[in-house]
Amino acid sequence: MIAAAWIALFAPAAAVVAVALAGTSITRSVAGFFAAGSALVSFVCSVVVFILLLGENPEERTHSSTLWTWLSAGDLKIGAEIQIDPLSVFMMLIVSGVGFLILAYAIGYMNGDVEERRYHAYKALFVFSMLLLVEAGNLVLLLAGWGMVGLSSYLLINYWHQRATAVAAGKKAFIMNAFGDATFVLAIFLLIQRTGSVEFDAVFSSGVVEHGSTAAALIALGLLGGAVAKSAQVPLHTWLPDAMEGPTPVSALIHAATMVTAGVYLIARTNVLFELAPAIQDLAGILGGVTILLAGLIALVQTDIKRVIAYSTMSQIGYMFVAVGLGAYGSGLFHLMTHAFFKALLFMAAGIVIHALSDEQDIRRMGGLGRAMPFTHRVFVVGALSLAAIPPFSGFFSKDSILGAAANAGTLGWILWTAGAIGAFLTALYTFRLLFIVFWGEMTPFAREHLHLKRFEGGLAMAWPVAILAFLSFFGGWFQVPWGWDLVNEWIDPVAESAAEATGTTLVFSVVASLALAVAGILLAWRWYGRTSDAPERARKRLPWAARTLEHKFYFDEAYDLAFYEPASRKAVFLTQYVEQPLFLAPLGELGSSVRAASRRLSSLQTGYVREYALALAAGLAVLAIVFILVT
Amino acid sequence: MTNFIVWVVWVLAALSLLGSGIAVVLFQNPFYSALALIGNLASLAVLYLLLAAEFVAAAQVLVYAGAVVVMFLFVIAYLGGRADAPWAGGPSPQSLAAIVAAAAIAVEIVVVIAMKAGDQLSTPAKVDDNFGSPAEIGRLFLGDHLLAFEVTSIVLLIAAVGGVILGSAVPREKRS
Amino acid sequence: MPGPSVAAYLILSVILFATGAFGVLIRRSPLIVLLALEIMLNAGNLALIAFARQTGTGSGQIFALTVMVVAAAEAVVGLGLIVAVSRRHVALDVDKLTTLRG
Repeated sequence: MIAAAWIALFAPAAAVVAVALAGTSITRSVAGFFAAGSALVSFVCSVVVFILLLGENPEERTHSSTLWTWLSAGDLKIGAEIQIDPLSVFMMLIVSGVGFLILAYAIGYMNGDVEERRYHAYKALFVFSMLLLVEAGNLVLLLAGWGMVGLSSYLLINYWHQRATAVAAGKKAFIMNAFGDATFVLAIFLLIQRTGSVEFDAVFSSGVVEHGSTAAALIALGLLGGAVAKSAQVPLHTWLPDAMEGPTPVSALIHAATMVTAGVYLIARTNVLFELAPAIQDLAGILGGVTILLAGLIALVQTDIKRVIAYSTMSQIGYMFVAVGLGAYGSGLFHLMTHAFFKALLFMAAGIVIHALSDEQDIRRMGGLGRAMPFTHRVFVVGALSLAAIPPFSGFFSKDSILGAAANAGTLGWILWTAGAIGAFLTALYTFRLLFIVFWGEMTPFAREHLHLKRFEGGLAMAWPVAILAFLSFFGGWFQVPWGWDLVNEWIDPVAESAAEATGTTLVFSVVASLALAVAGILLAWRWYGRTSDAPERARKRLPWAARTLEHKFYFDEAYDLAFYEPASRKAVFLTQYVEQPLFLAPLGELGSSVRAASRRLSSLQTGYVREYALALAAGLAVLAIVFILVT
Repeated sequence: MTNFIVWVVWVLAALSLLGSGIAVVLFQNPFYSALALIGNLASLAVLYLLLAAEFVAAAQVLVYAGAVVVMFLFVIAYLGGRADAPWAGGPSPQSLAAIVAAAAIAVEIVVVIAMKAGDQLSTPAKVDDNFGSPAEIGRLFLGDHLLAFEVTSIVLLIAAVGGVILGSAVPREKRS
Repeated sequence: MPGPSVAAYLILSVILFATGAFGVLIRRSPLIVLLALEIMLNAGNLALIAFARQTGTGSGQIFALTVMVVAAAEAVVGLGLIVAVSRRHVALDVDKLTTLRG
């Protein structure tokens, strides 16, 4: 089992090295096969580990293995260790499984790109980093994986590095993530000071910090900062929509299924520390609730197909944060899994549409594609229904698991339940808005001109992963059914005990209310966008300020610009002009020119006359003899 | 009696030494200068004999007077002994400074040696007949100073190679 | 030791050295300069032999023989240079060979 876990971790790394070293001696598609194949190897190994863990008693399901001592300073020893327990295996299955499907899809999507090998190598690097993150057995190794997924995300966002917008987006993502990394590191430092170790067993043992103390709050706050940045929650969320500059499979894998969920994983993994600082845990839930609403509202007015899905991702991760914020870790992770299925599905379907329209992403230029692309239309409907949480699709079960837990969690729980319920309405509304605008109605002239289809609309290479994900989106919810069984909660229990869900009438009320709101959202979307209607225009005219705020994404970008970028750039200009130029550059230049002047004067001593040199020698000898006489 | 003979020989050798030295420096024809150098070297050999350095005296005559000066004469013959008049144009600052420098060097070194080692120079050490003989020189070369011995062979090799290269290069104008 | 003391030999060597130095400084033909250089080297040799006699060790004579070797080698190279210079039809005048200037 340990061996399988190590192989699962290092297979993608081997793929990266292989693709990098092979260079142009392998074809571009073969590079993709290496990457996808390594992800498949990881998945198989993860399945093996999972089956082996199933055979054990729940209490014994924790194993760790250290390859070598990575860092050691005094008493602090940090090893390259992995931890195999239900939580890490759960994440490994999702990362490697969905990762394999997306990597395979990418072989078709990126086919023909000039630097395709670099793409596949980066993708494999990402899978390796994410597996490192989830398999790590101590916080520092987790941080290493954390940083590396940020790096892979940056590399892949500005994969098309000739585009200025892509480069800017990559920088933005990396810098915001770096802020989260910094708070994460500070939390680790505090923990090292308290416990002298970073291994999970040592750090999560009871009595590390007192319940409710400032130290506990600071540690949890640091961890939360990292999670918020990585998962694009308010207030560190502005990088995610820009990250859509990367290729669609990147958006599917990194910015929907795996990396952005790393924050949720972190909170689940360090739940002990969060429960020692209840105020911060509540804060996590609150931030999640705010993000649900904010992202849902912004998604209503987006016109880029990928950005709608990106805000949807932000919103759904808000649900996960609500779940872990209220202590319902199993529900949060369950939603993570189903979200990985249907969000990757939506992105990949959107990718097929974008490909078919020669890289056009503006939905105002699309329409009526449902008849031309039936397969894509159908899988998109599956993903949309799952996202809107309509039974029997998977999203229903996971979202209701979360809402059920929220309904059972006191006042804060009910506040967050309300946010989640409104969010369900918004989700259904914007999702089906997207569906109706893109796939229903009349084909726009642009679409008619530029549509070019292959067999299965995007080619078989892109179709089969999408089909598998559609299947999973449909059937993947049966793991945890209200009034039935909750397998996910049971599975995660040894690592993170989940808070109890609501029962009886409360649960009925929660399920029915959220379902009703979702259906209402679909109906409203059908009325406004499914048929030709000018209702959206009228709403916009009546509330122009609302429309403008939503279109400007609640002015977050402008605020951050004003708060951080403007002062920094003005300071930089000032320092260049008044400090660097006069204090450093000018003296250096003067130094150079004065040395040159002095050397010119000295070189005039070299006259070229041998006799003068000899005379100088003789004169020097004479002077030295006098000195010798005088001194000694 | 021997003391008197030695003194006479010393005076004669010293006078010829200084005379030929001045002749080398002052003659205008380089051919005459080279010949004067031979006289210089011969006087030096006599002085070496007086200082009980027989092997060095023999080597001096063989190597210097026999080889080096012959080489000089060959080159002078090849180049044509052009007359070189150092006094043309009257005394220049260079020549005045040269006189002053040379004189200063001479005086100062004498003064230094007199001040520092004057009393130590009164009695030389006692030496036996072996001192300065070829056997003694050989023993020293191959014993205490073996490295110098080997290195000088390398120096000679380099000089020979250099001489050949410098001498055999044909100027480019002549080639085309 | 019969004859004058070692100091006399040293004074002789110094005067010879100064003569050689004067020659190097005053002459314009490189050949004569080389000859004057040989005189300076020989003056040094004389001093070495005198000191060897004074201390009774043979190292001074070994040193003098080595100096002789080096002087011979230097004369070879110097003469080779002069021949090469004259081959290029440049005047054999030290004051005219001034291309190596700063």
